[in-house]
Amino acid sequence: MKTALRFLLYGTLCLALGLTACAKKTVTDTSADMSKAKVSDDDAARQRQLEEERRRQAELEEQQRRAAAMAAVKQEVANMIFFDFDKYDLKPEAREVLQKKAQILKDNSVLKIIIAGNCDERGTEEYNLALGERRARAAYEYLVLLGIEAGRMSIVSYGEERPLDPGHGEAAWSKNRRDEFTIVQ
Amino acid sequence: MTKRPVDRPWLALLLAAALALCAQAAQAQRMTIDIFGPGQAKVNIIQTQPLPLQEGQPLPAVSAQLRERIDRNLGYLPFLRKVMATDVIGGDRVNGPTAAGIDFKRFQLSRVDLVLTAGWREGNPSGLADVELRAYEVFTGSLLLGKAYYELTPKHVPEVADRFCAELMRLLTGSGDFFNSQIAFVRKEGKSKNIWAARPTGEDLRQLTRLSGIAMSPSWSFDGTTLAFTYVGERNHSLGILRLGDDKPKLVNLNGSSVISPTFLPDGQLAVTMDAGGQPDIFLLNGSYKVVRPLVENWAIDVSPSFDAKADKMAFVSSRLGNPHIFLQNMRTGEVNRVTMEGRYNTEPSLSPDGRLLAFAREMADGEHRIFFHDLATGIERQVTFGPGSDEDPSWAPDGYFLVYASNRTGQYKLYLTTRHGDSSIPLETGSGEAKSPAWAKLPLSSGS
Repeated sequence: MKTALRFLLYGTLCLALGLTACAKKTVTDTSADMSKAKVSDDDAARQRQLEEERRRQAELEEQQRRAAAMAAVKQEVANMIFFDFDKYDLKPEAREVLQKKAQILKDNSVLKIIIAGNCDERGTEEYNLALGERRARAAYEYLVLLGIEAGRMSIVSYGEERPLDPGHGEAAWSKNRRDEFTIVQ
Repeated sequence: MTKRPVDRPWLALLLAAALALCAQAAQAQRMTIDIFGPGQAKVNIIQTQPLPLQEGQPLPAVSAQLRERIDRNLGYLPFLRKVMATDVIGGDRVNGPTAAGIDFKRFQLSRVDLVLTAGWREGNPSGLADVELRAYEVFTGSLLLGKAYYELTPKHVPEVADRFCAELMRLLTGSGDFFNSQIAFVRKEGKSKNIWAARPTGEDLRQLTRLSGIAMSPSWSFDGTTLAFTYVGERNHSLGILRLGDDKPKLVNLNGSSVISPTFLPDGQLAVTMDAGGQPDIFLLNGSYKVVRPLVENWAIDVSPSFDAKADKMAFVSSRLGNPHIFLQNMRTGEVNRVTMEGRYNTEPSLSPDGRLLAFAREMADGEHRIFFHDLATGIERQVTFGPGSDEDPSWAPDGYFLVYASNRTGQYKLYLTTRHGDSSIPLETGSGEAKSPAWAKLPLSSGS
């Protein structure tokens, strides 16, 4: 009886140990498989995410590049030219500015611009309105000579109505005798 | 445009009364003053204290207001010299408003030429006051002018004063249009500029356009019913047209990008500078704003046309010789002659209605502008304004006697009145903000006296 009990205990112990061993082995194997699958899933998602990020980054950089290019175009187009008192002939520096502008307009053939002629406050209003037209037209005609289609440009004179600098000395006046260039959509 | 606040019932009565009073005046020898000649005589005038038409009756409160208003109006006429009550023996009181009540001798002793009287009646059936205004020549004691106005309220005072003074001026000088005219001008508010108008006495100040951009260079039609102006938009100019009674102006797009200095001819056509041909030239437009023909075609700038009352001549500015100068074109032959030989910058011509005197602005050595007159008959030029600041935008009154111009002598551009004799300038009331580019015209017949 005692032997039988010992045997039973031993057998139970072995069974328990065996079961324990079996159970441990099963758990270990399952955990490893799941982890592997998860890592695999995570890697794919991560990769997709990275690709998405790279795509977005590239898009962003492209947008920034385009914006910078457009800003450079706008800046170049917006560069003003200046005139002497009661004059509308183009000075050498004004021609240089217009030549750069012409290249930009050729490189960006969809752009259309308005050329606005302006005067300082010293003359009288009606004559200045005509003088502003002469100044705008001088730039317009030079750009046409440089190969820009006339239909891409229009002119307007603001006379002395829109001074850049509201001051009353030559420093202000010299800034106000100008052509402004604006891109129209 | 707003209807002027004057009730009409009393006007019909006025005519009959005026005829009756003037019948007596017609008998009298007329006193006249030549204000258009080379010199200008001065007439001494005194306005006596108002009196009741029936002795013992009370004077209405409005009597003092009318006296003050007439006194103010007389101040606009440089050919009148107001005599103070203290300079007359016995002062400015008379016994009655008619000749029987006036001791002309004591006015003669004080060298008074004209005596004005006002006789009032209060408590007529309407409860309002009536007035009889008279002007007597002191030397002969004869009645020069008599007018009666009925049912007056305080709001009628400026209108009655203007009408009486217009008649008095017409009687003395042959023209009373000063008190029967209007001045359009450009007033700046913020970044926008709009057209306003007022009587030369500052009455009836009103805004004519309410545009968000810049309105410039108003010009009246000769009948005073329509205004043309330049509207400067973001991308081009338009021709603005405003007819009396319209709430909003019509903006007309013309060929080219520029519409500068539109100016009416006496027949209602317009002369305007456009750049349709590639340079600013002056074109004649018909009533539908279509080009009839070019008036001035030149490689240079040609702007600011101005016509006499018959459109025999057109003055304009041209830079064909380098700097802007005034030129004159014979409208029949097309012959063009240079007018200004002095100075380097002569602009803004205004031709007097009789075609004799050309007013313009010349830039002086200090960079400021001054108003000059050029006598087209003699070629003699005369500086009329002397600052300080810059004097610009001369514009003749329809009578050819007064002239309005803009000056920034107080730091801000405002309007001032002077005459063809260069009399002392009188500021014009235009309200707040900068006022420039005046244009003068008679009131339309329907609203004038």
